[in-house]
Amino acid sequence: MIENPEHSFVKQLQANQNIIHKICRLYTDCEDSHKDLFQEITIQLWKAFPKFRGDSKFSTWAYRVALNTAITLYRKNKRSIATVEYEARQHFTKDVDYNYEEEEQIKLMYKAVYQLNDIEKALVFMYLEDKDYHEIAETLGISEVNARVKMNRIKGKLKKILNP
Amino acid sequence: MKELDLLKKDWKKNENSFEQVSEKEIYKMIHKKSSSIVKWILIISILEFTILNLIGFLIPDEKREELIVIENYLNAFTILGYGITLYFIYLFYKNYKSISVVATTKKLMQSILKTRKTVQYYIWYNIIYIFLIVSLVIVYELQNSPTFNTHNSSKNMLICVISFVLLGVVLGLIWLFYRLIYGILLRRLYANYKELKKIDL
Repeated sequence: MIENPEHSFVKQLQANQNIIHKICRLYTDCEDSHKDLFQEITIQLWKAFPKFRGDSKFSTWAYRVALNTAITLYRKNKRSIATVEYEARQHFTKDVDYNYEEEEQIKLMYKAVYQLNDIEKALVFMYLEDKDYHEIAETLGISEVNARVKMNRIKGKLKKILNP
Repeated sequence: MKELDLLKKDWKKNENSFEQVSEKEIYKMIHKKSSSIVKWILIISILEFTILNLIGFLIPDEKREELIVIENYLNAFTILGYGITLYFIYLFYKNYKSISVVATTKKLMQSILKTRKTVQYYIWYNIIYIFLIVSLVIVYELQNSPTFNTHNSSKNMLICVISFVLLGVVLGLIWLFYRLIYGILLRRLYANYKELKKIDL
């Protein structure tokens, strides 16, 4: 008997939900919008689920749909999310002991990443997720060369933001 | 880039720090669309009921005296009308409840179909109800008006026809009004239903 698609979707999404949480973390600035984006991505994934054939891993497919949703929504609300304070997000993560200097640097990095545009954030996200250029290209629907070029530009941009 | 690697380290460290969403919550999220539509149907029906009754209270009923004979009928109709409308609101509430509760796809589809039917019955009931009451008043007025018997019957027929044409127009407008309010909601609900059906195959 074939498993009820709804059950299988919910189970797999539940197991892979950190993907969505992490995307929300990069694209939203407060807990409420984090939850909103999480729900929106969930609905979009559910809508797209009939097209998910299972020839790729659920997580790979989820990366693509979730990122596209975040990018589209981010474009719609560009003005409201444009500048974000890193401090506002502190309550999202549990406290972990940091080297103070490192912590400062990480804070600045997050701030810099928030200033990137929707596509650039998506690339940074994939990079942070340890995806290779082949996967980045496939997920975002661009060529591998383009992905490399874009990533280099982003690095330059981040450096500029950090050391103006 | 050194900073980016630092960020990656931090990113990995916090990977599992997110508050986890339960399976039940995910179910709720993907069903929320239907339940919010059904909630609107419930809210609109209650609003409609209250507003129409408020209007009824605010309009002074001076004309009533002429209609004393059929007033008893009208009162009975009004009470019956209240009862039926309240019953429909109760049905809408039940539909809303049954969709809110986490259900299987099949059950959700059934609830959606049931809600659509309830709304359609509600619209037809309202139109038939208004038609019956107004026709009653028109027929009674014509029969008892002093001009009815003294003038020729073709003129009476004309008044009668015009009254019913006007009634028809008003009913048409009411129907359109309902189609507009509930139609939008029902279409969305139906779209949701079709999506569910595709998945359930």
